[in-house]
Amino acid sequence: MSRVLVVEDDPHILRLISMWLERQGHDVREARNGLAARELLRAEPTDVLVTDVNMPGLDGLALIEAALAMGHVRRGIVVLTNRWDHGEIRDRLAQWHVHVLPKPFSPARLSELVDSLATAKDGDSPSSVVASEPRPSGSG
Amino acid sequence: MRIGCPSAPDDLLLRDLVRGLSTLDRPAPGQGPTVCRAPTLSVGVLGNPAHTPQPPAHCLRVCLGADPHAVASRGCKFLATAARREIDLTQLPDGRCPQGFAVTARATRLGGAEAVFVSVEGEIAEGPAPEPSTCGTAQEPRHAADESNLLGHVDTAARLVQRVGEILEENSGFADEVLQNYEQLNLIFDLTQQIAQVTEARAIEELLLQRVARLLGSVAVTLASADGECRVFGGAGGRGDGAVTDRPATDLRSLKGLIDEIRRTRQVRVHEVEGRQIIAGPLVRLDGKVDVVFADRALEPAAGGFSSGDMMLVESMLAFGGQIITNTEMHERLRRMSLEVTHAMVAAIDKKDHYTSGHSERGGFLTRLTAQELGVPLAEQQTMEWAGLLHDIGKIGIPEEILCKPGKLTHEEFEVIKQHPRMGYEILKPIASLGVILDGVLYHHEYPDGSGYPEGLKGDQIPLIARIIHVVDTFDALTSTRAYRQAFSLERALEIIRNERGVRVDAEVADAFFRAFERYCREEPEDFAARFPAVIQPEKAHAEP
Repeated sequence: MSRVLVVEDDPHILRLISMWLERQGHDVREARNGLAARELLRAEPTDVLVTDVNMPGLDGLALIEAALAMGHVRRGIVVLTNRWDHGEIRDRLAQWHVHVLPKPFSPARLSELVDSLATAKDGDSPSSVVASEPRPSGSG
Repeated sequence: MRIGCPSAPDDLLLRDLVRGLSTLDRPAPGQGPTVCRAPTLSVGVLGNPAHTPQPPAHCLRVCLGADPHAVASRGCKFLATAARREIDLTQLPDGRCPQGFAVTARATRLGGAEAVFVSVEGEIAEGPAPEPSTCGTAQEPRHAADESNLLGHVDTAARLVQRVGEILEENSGFADEVLQNYEQLNLIFDLTQQIAQVTEARAIEELLLQRVARLLGSVAVTLASADGECRVFGGAGGRGDGAVTDRPATDLRSLKGLIDEIRRTRQVRVHEVEGRQIIAGPLVRLDGKVDVVFADRALEPAAGGFSSGDMMLVESMLAFGGQIITNTEMHERLRRMSLEVTHAMVAAIDKKDHYTSGHSERGGFLTRLTAQELGVPLAEQQTMEWAGLLHDIGKIGIPEEILCKPGKLTHEEFEVIKQHPRMGYEILKPIASLGVILDGVLYHHEYPDGSGYPEGLKGDQIPLIARIIHVVDTFDALTSTRAYRQAFSLERALEIIRNERGVRVDAEVADAFFRAFERYCREEPEDFAARFPAVIQPEKAHAEP
C-alpha cells in the first residue's frame, strides 16, 4: 500500500479520485487546495502526489515546486490538467518529468500511473531525481 | 470497463458513526430500577467472505454519554463470537449475551460488508447509578438507563447504520457511473482530437470503429456495409490499437433479420444468439444507405451483458462519427469536383494553344516541387500548385491567330499577348476561394530587373508565388517546341536560366528549382519520363536559333 496525496479544489472530484484510489488499495490523503496540501506534505511525506493545476491560493505548479524543494514526494507526481491548456501545462512541466493527465481523466490510466509509480524501485522516481536538481525559475 | 465492487466502510467512517451515535439521547442518571453499568455502544463490521480481498473484521465501541472522541477499538465480545459464526447476526437475540451482559443488537448491511451490527451492552445493576467517573479505563458505571431505552437506541442506531449503508452503496454506484463516464468521455475526447488530425473518411471510419470496440470492451467490431462488404476493426479487448481485418467476428448470415431491422429502424439493438450478446447499430452513409456495426461479447463473459449505457454510447458514437465521416466524404467529393473543374479549365487553355499542351499541368507540378524545396508550408504548397496550374488561364482571352502564330510576333501582337496575366486575374478574381492565387497569375511575367509586365515590379516587390511560377514557366517554355521555334535541350534550358539569375529570373528561386528538379530526375526517372516526354530526348532538340 502506498500513500497518495490527492489535491483538487472541486470537492466531488476530489472525493471521486480518492475513492477510486482507495479502492485500488492506496492510503489516500485529501487536500482541497495547494496551501493545505503543502502543510500536509510538510508534516508527512507522501509516495505519490496527484494534483490539479488551477486552484485558488497556491496552484498546482507552485505546489509541485514546493513539494520537490521539500523532497517530500518519494515516488512521483501526477498532474491533472484541463484539456484546453493541457499542451501548455505539459510543456511547462516537461523539465520535471511529472506525468500529466487531461481531465476528464481516464480512471484506468490514473490508477495504472499511480500503481507504476508506487511500485517503482527507489531511485527510479523521476521526481526524487529532479528534486535534488536546481529548481527551474519562473515555472510556478 | 467495469470499475469494481464497493468496498467495506473504512475505519474513519465507522469512527464518525460511533461518535455520532454516542451523543444520541443520552440516558439520564438514576432513571428506573434497572441500570446498565458502563453501557457501551459498539459498531462492528464483518467481512463478506465472497469478496476478495475480504474486508477485515473490526469493531469500534464507545461508552454512552462519554466523551465522543474516546472511541476505543478494542474488540467487541460479539465480534469474536460472530466471526466464529457461532451467532447468526441476522437473528441476534435481545436480552443477555453468552457473557451475561445485557445486550441488544441489530444486524444490518453496510457497503461490501456482510454484516454490520450495532449493539449496546452493559452490566445490569439495581438501584441508582453511582457518581460518574472516567469511562473506558475501569468498567465503572457512568449512567443508568433502562433496557427499553437502550433497545430504542439500538433500533435507531441500526436504522441509521442501515441508511448510511444504503447511502454508501448508492454513492458507490454513482461513483462507478461517474468513473465509467470519465473513462468514456476521455476516450471520446481522445477520439475527437485524433479525428481532427485525419482527413480521409476511410481512416476516420477505422479510428471510430476501433474506439467503439475499445469503449465496449469488445475484441472487435464488424461492419456490414449496405453493398455486402464486411470489415472487422480490432479493439484488442479494450486495450488496443487493433488492425483492420476481413474476418468477421460474427457469423453474419444468422444475423440477417437483425441487420434488416436496423437498416429499417436505424436504432441500436442488443441481440442474444447462442449465449452470446451482440450489440448492433446503424452507420448512415452519404448516399443514405445504412451500414450495420456489430460488437460481440462472447469472448469476454466476465464483462457481462451490454447495458443501456452501452447502447447509448453506440448510438451517439455512430451518429456523431457517421456525421463526421459523411462530412469528410462530402468535403472530399467537393474537393475532387473543384480539382476536376480546375483541370477542365486548364485543359481548355492547353486545347487552344496545342503547342503548350501539358504546359499548365507541368507548371503546377514544378511550382509545387520548387515551393517544397524553398520550405513553403504544406497548405501553401497546395495553393501554389493551383496557381501554377492556372497561371496561363488568361490566354483563353487571346485570339488564336496571335497565340498560335508561327514566326515572330509584331510589336502590337506582343502587346496583346502581354494582356494574358491581367485577363487571367480578371477571370479568377470573382472566385473568392481562388483569391490567394491571383498574385501568381497576375505577376508571373514580372522580372527581378523590373523589365517584366504588366506592372514592371522589381526584386522582392514580386510575390514569391509569381517568382516561382516565372522560373518554372520559363523552363517549360524553353524545353517545349513552340509555334515559332523548336525545343531546347534540358542542359541548354537550364544553362539559359542560370545565365538569367538575378536579372530575368529570381536567383534564390532558380537555385531551389535546379536542386529540386535535379533530385526529382534522379529519384523518380519513370515519373519524369511520363511527365516530360519532350525533355528526355535532347538529341531531337535544335540548337539555339
